[in-house]
Amino acid sequence: MTVTEQEITDYVARVRAALADLPTAQRDELTEDLADHLTEVAAEAEGTLLERLGEPETYAAELRAAAGAAPGGGRNLDQRVATAMARVRGRLRTLDTRLGPPLGYATASDFLHLLRPGWWVLRGYLAAMLVTVISTGGSFGLLPRFGGELLAGMIMLIGFVVASIWIGRRSAQLTRWPRSAVQVGSVVLVIFAFAALMQAEDRMRYGDYGYDQTSVDSQYDRVRDVFVYDSEGRLVENARLFDQNGNPIRLGYPDCSEEVYDKPNLRAYPYCPEQAPFVPRAPGAPLPRGSATSPPDPTSTPDPSGTPGPTGTPPPDGTPTAVPPSGTPTPTPTR
Amino acid sequence: MDTTQLLKGVLDMAVLAVLREEDGYGYDILRRLREAGLEEVGDASVYGTLRRLFAAGLLTTYVVPSESGPHRKYYSLNAAGRDQLTRSGKLWRSFATTMDSLLDDRGMAA
Repeated sequence: MTVTEQEITDYVARVRAALADLPTAQRDELTEDLADHLTEVAAEAEGTLLERLGEPETYAAELRAAAGAAPGGGRNLDQRVATAMARVRGRLRTLDTRLGPPLGYATASDFLHLLRPGWWVLRGYLAAMLVTVISTGGSFGLLPRFGGELLAGMIMLIGFVVASIWIGRRSAQLTRWPRSAVQVGSVVLVIFAFAALMQAEDRMRYGDYGYDQTSVDSQYDRVRDVFVYDSEGRLVENARLFDQNGNPIRLGYPDCSEEVYDKPNLRAYPYCPEQAPFVPRAPGAPLPRGSATSPPDPTSTPDPSGTPGPTGTPPPDGTPTAVPPSGTPTPTPTR
Repeated sequence: MDTTQLLKGVLDMAVLAVLREEDGYGYDILRRLREAGLEEVGDASVYGTLRRLFAAGLLTTYVVPSESGPHRKYYSLNAAGRDQLTRSGKLWRSFATTMDSLLDDRGMAA
């Protein structure tokens, strides 16, 4: 026989749920033999009841019609909910039986029953952590504290765990309201646990578990050298920097000259003039009129006191040497 | 119109007729109906009909213990059931005759 008692019971329950709108007496009369009848059906043929007879709701509709009962059109919400509940319960029971063997048990719930004491302990811990969060105002670690006190927190933890186990072992004897209260409390603790885990996950992922890592001179810790330019864009060599108290400001570190290492107090900026971001210019050199980045060109340097060349016509500001044929007086910056 | 539609009106009579020859339990009755040619009859219909005929006082039941399988509830025709079968049988024959002649007159072969 491939059909189990449980399957028959579920089927009957769903048929009864689908007939929920009938008067109780009539429904009982219609279905009192149904389980026996289905047992016969199961004994006579192969396959599950669903395969043999179709959905219980369809079966119920056919039964209703054949038995001459009122049609089930006007079912109210309660009955529809009852039908849905019976259906869900049946599906869950099927799932329970299906999931059992892969876990090594007859049903999945057999396996879950074994885990219950573990859940009771965890529940006690979660309750202690909830009190920790409430009493210490939000910030918490992994250990329970009562108002910030670790010892009190540990005592509370032990008390809650023992109480949770006590409640768990007696849950079968609880009456309806205490049982509901325990269930609601458990749901609250599970939600709290998820919220706390999410928060811990966030804190760990962004690496600020409790404190911020800050840099004392974060703005300047990448500075290696300092280049000072005067108002005309010329590089100032051997510059020294001081703060308002006359203390030298030390930035960077020389990496181009070993001499400077020997006399740290004599350091002057820039350490490495050849690494200037803008082309270094000899002090006193005039600014080019074109691009600021053009290299100095001695042949085009204007000389106010220059003498006219032997062949060239002296321009107003004069060039001491080569005079272009076109007579362009200004220096031409090269790019 | 298919057989299912026709069955609705005559299933009572069919069940009573099957029980007339021999008592039977639910699945047994279903099987006998199907063997007799009513192959489209549904399990729930037969079960529901049995419950209704029983509630109407046309059938009696008794349980037969079984060594190999489940205990079986047997249905048996009582006097009221036999009367009912006789009456509805007569009604059906006259109705069937009327329908036959109706169809014959219009040239439909039986």
